[in-house]
Amino acid sequence: MQFSYEVNDSYAEVKSVGRLNMVAAPKLREVVNEVVAGGSSRVVVNLAETDFMDSSGLGALIGCLKAARQAGGDLRIAGVQPQVKMVLELTNMDRVLTAYPTAEAAFGDD
Amino acid sequence: MTEVIAHRGFHGPSNEEAIEAIHNELDALWDDASFVPDMDRMTFATAVIEAAANIVQHALPVAEKPVEIDVDISVRPTRLIARVSAYNAREPFANDMQASMPDSDAESGRGLALIEALVTTVTFERQDGTNTWILTRNT
Repeated sequence: MQFSYEVNDSYAEVKSVGRLNMVAAPKLREVVNEVVAGGSSRVVVNLAETDFMDSSGLGALIGCLKAARQAGGDLRIAGVQPQVKMVLELTNMDRVLTAYPTAEAAFGDD
Repeated sequence: MTEVIAHRGFHGPSNEEAIEAIHNELDALWDDASFVPDMDRMTFATAVIEAAANIVQHALPVAEKPVEIDVDISVRPTRLIARVSAYNAREPFANDMQASMPDSDAESGRGLALIEALVTTVTFERQDGTNTWILTRNT
């Protein structure tokens, strides 16, 4: 599992590559906290290359969403693959973590 | 009784490396049983990893021997079966067996509810210091 990020003018994009499981979840929290602490509270987590997420990964996304909102921003997800979509739907979290087709589209409307 | 078409297993210390190893065993299992539909693979693999992660995160040793995790997964003609066990483990706390979805802002506690949503049956057994979750999914 790998995370990398890039800060753009209007948002920061965090790329998640690999399995977002209990091993990777704490790393995602670290990366997003670093991005938010650096002053970018509008965060897109790009999941286009994440083919697996479990409840620990989901918990980390929720924690990151709270961190972004507490800093006055928001966290959105993009490029959701079928397994991740399934986990979001079965836990009813698709209503809280809105999925956008691409990172560019996530903050494209505001 | 019913034929086992493909089988994979893992046994080792209950830690993060075990989770990655079990993921790899699941991937290898689907290579051996390519007829299993994508939807069944996805749901079943998620349930197995959730059960294994639950052990790694919550299982406490019953004595000085550390907890070990054992996973045995088989593909049968119309059914996927996984036995996910914690050896040398205490009986799980009632809180760890919570099977309803928590509030939307909760950052943990969805694992067992998710497992129940993913498989056809979930059975828990405890025998001689071993906790075993048996997950089945009809295909």
